[in-house]
Parts: sequence; C-alpha cells; structure tokens
Amino acid sequence: MGSEFVLFVSAAIFCIGATGFIIRRNPLIMFMSVELMLNSVNFLLVGYSKFTNTLDGQIFALLIMVVAAAEVVVGLAIILTIFRTRRDLDVDHINVLKG
Amino acid sequence: MFDLAYQTIVAIIGGTAILASFGVILCASPIYSALYLISNMICLALLFLLYNAEFIAAVQIIVYAGAVMILFLFIIALLGAKKEEKTSSWEKPAAFTFIPVLFGELLMALTMDEGRPVQGRFTEEFIANVGSAQAVGLELFSRHLIPFELASILLLAATVGVICLAKFPAKVGGRRVK
Repeated sequence: MGSEFVLFVSAAIFCIGATGFIIRRNPLIMFMSVELMLNSVNFLLVGYSKFTNTLDGQIFALLIMVVAAAEVVVGLAIILTIFRTRRDLDVDHINVLKG
Repeated sequence: MFDLAYQTIVAIIGGTAILASFGVILCASPIYSALYLISNMICLALLFLLYNAEFIAAVQIIVYAGAVMILFLFIIALLGAKKEEKTSSWEKPAAFTFIPVLFGELLMALTMDEGRPVQGRFTEEFIANVGSAQAVGLELFSRHLIPFELASILLLAATVGVICLAKFPAKVGGRRVK
C-alpha cells in the first residue's frame, strides 16, 4: 500500500465528483462536486510529491487552490446574478443567455 | 508496528474521505452537502499531514475548509436551501455508464505504477530539517516564480470580474431594479 492507495482514493473521489456534477441540478451542489474533483487531484499531487521526493506536486496543489478560490468566487457571483434575475436555481430551467 | 498503525490510520481517513464525498452528492439539501464537503476537506488535510505536507494541510484548512466553504454557506443562506424537484432525464443513465468506464480507466494507472524514475532531493529528512513551509517557499520562489506571479494576476482578474458582476443591478423585463 502506498501510491496505489493514493491513486485509488483520488480516482474514487474524482469519479464521485463527476457523477455529482452530472446527476444533480442544483448549481451549488454542482459547484461542490467540482470542488471534490479539484480536491482529489490535489491529494494525488501531494501523495506523489512524497513518493518521488520532490515538491513540485505540493506547489501545483497550492496553485490549484488559488485557481479554485478564484473560480468559486466568480461562479457564485454568476449564480447569485442569475438568481436575482430569475428567482429560480434549477439548471434545467436556465436556457437563455440573455438576462 | 508503527508502520502498520500508520497504514491503518491512512486507510481509515481515506475511507472517511470517500464516504464524505458520497454524502456531498447524495444529500438533498445543499446545506448538508456543504457540511459533508467540509468533512471531506478536513479528511484530505489530515492525509496531507500524514504525507509530510504540513504547509499544504494548513492552507487546505484555512483556504478551502475555511474561506471557500464559508462563502458557500453564505450563498446557500442567501438563496435558501430549496430541494430540487425529481424529474426523470437521460443524464442519470448516461452518468452511470460513463462514470464506471472513467473509474476503470483511472484504475488502469494502478497496473502501470512500478518504476519511479523521478527522485528529487526533498527527502523526508530534508523536509523535517528545514520545515515544510520553508521547503515549499524555497521551491516556489526559485523554480516556480512565474506561475506564482500568474496566480496573482488571476486573483486580480477574479476580483475585478466579481466587482463587475456585483456592482450593476440585474435587469428585470428591460428596466433596472434597485
């Protein structure tokens, strides 16, 4: 057990996140599923940076956290704007780009 | 003996992380999903600690489980935790055929992992000597300086974008509402 465990856990969490992104319709939960996928990749990078005795994986995980924070802020602002115009959060009902 | 205990703890925390991520996608209410996501992130932070990445673990707790999830909870509180309606669609069967295929493909990577050609200089002893934060800082500000600067530009762009989205009031039926 070692790198196989890291691969298995991160693959499992990534697939669960992808499933959630496809089957859920609440945009907030879809966003949380994206966070799950990003987190699983972080775990893979940190685990492999230990097994290969390098720090590149940890740096990459740090940058992924920065990108994820920026993405969450912009995404939640967009969800809030859509909610203010339409009073509805189901992504199946959002079918026009023009507010 | 110590090694066995270490492996057991790692396995238990990994299993908890997987269970918590199931909770994220299966809960009907977004509040419970957010709480499960926080527990998942804390489990991953503990795993980072066990893999000698103390600095990343601290950042994970502060940035992810702290700031990002608080933002999520604020938005959920603002929008109201409404349960989604159940409708039948083609997405579910598509997901349940696509995702096992993806999982199988990812697990194929397990069979290819034997040789590890890359061996860097940051061994466990080295990191224990200088400390995780200092080691990450040395690496970040020497070899990875350009990605670091690009990340700062990205954060600036995100800030400007959010201000643009939040400042102008939404239009309803052609006229602006206050």
